[in-house]
Amino acid sequence: MHFSKVRNPIAVNVVCRLCMCGTESNNCLLLFSELVDKCIGSRIHIVMKTDKEIVGTLLGFDDFVNMVLEDVTEFEITPEGRRITKLDQILLNGNNITMLIPGGEGPDV
Amino acid sequence: MPSTHPQWRRRRLVTVAISEKPKLALLAVHRLHPSLSLPSNEGAFRSSKMSLRKQTPSDFLKQIIGRPVVVKLNSGVDYRGVLACLDGYMNIAIEQTEEYVNGQLKNKYGDAFLRGNNVLYISTQKRKV
Repeated sequence: MHFSKVRNPIAVNVVCRLCMCGTESNNCLLLFSELVDKCIGSRIHIVMKTDKEIVGTLLGFDDFVNMVLEDVTEFEITPEGRRITKLDQILLNGNNITMLIPGGEGPDV
Repeated sequence: MPSTHPQWRRRRLVTVAISEKPKLALLAVHRLHPSLSLPSNEGAFRSSKMSLRKQTPSDFLKQIIGRPVVVKLNSGVDYRGVLACLDGYMNIAIEQTEEYVNGQLKNKYGDAFLRGNNVLYISTQKRKV
């Protein structure tokens, strides 16, 4: 996701495009599930608890943040950055998900 | 019917939809008739966030039964076979299973049952490394 920046000698004002909250306001009024819902249809980069990352197009999710993805690439971080590309659809168990990065393209390997 | 009557307006738009730019027209029709399901044309709608292909995990699970799948466990072990059945806990029964450890075929089982807490992901199988 891109941030809009206004160059300002005193402070940099950044507005999050997802939740439209600025640095001034400090309250994001959206629920987490609403934020994730906004990502449906776009690429998302998921970091797991282990040294694994998954990049795919988000098709859907549920209350437990199990995710349905498409055109998925799986990255194994550390050894030599092994990569496995899966097409079609995947259901990723939400148990091990640590971080969601919308619009991300994954580690640079 | 006067041309400003809502029903008449809708009908006209549908007529335009058939003849002119199909993609834009379909979106316009959808706005007026949200109940109509749009054709699942993947190429056309992938970029727009109209959530046409939104699929929750439970829908996905219903859809993949009987298909060849790849199931990866937390331990990294891979199982490939035909999905016989599964449940909401991601407990899985697979037929004609092949077990891959570190990418190498280790075992073959006629039937395998996997406990759901170990499952990292379930993927349909159209794979290239």
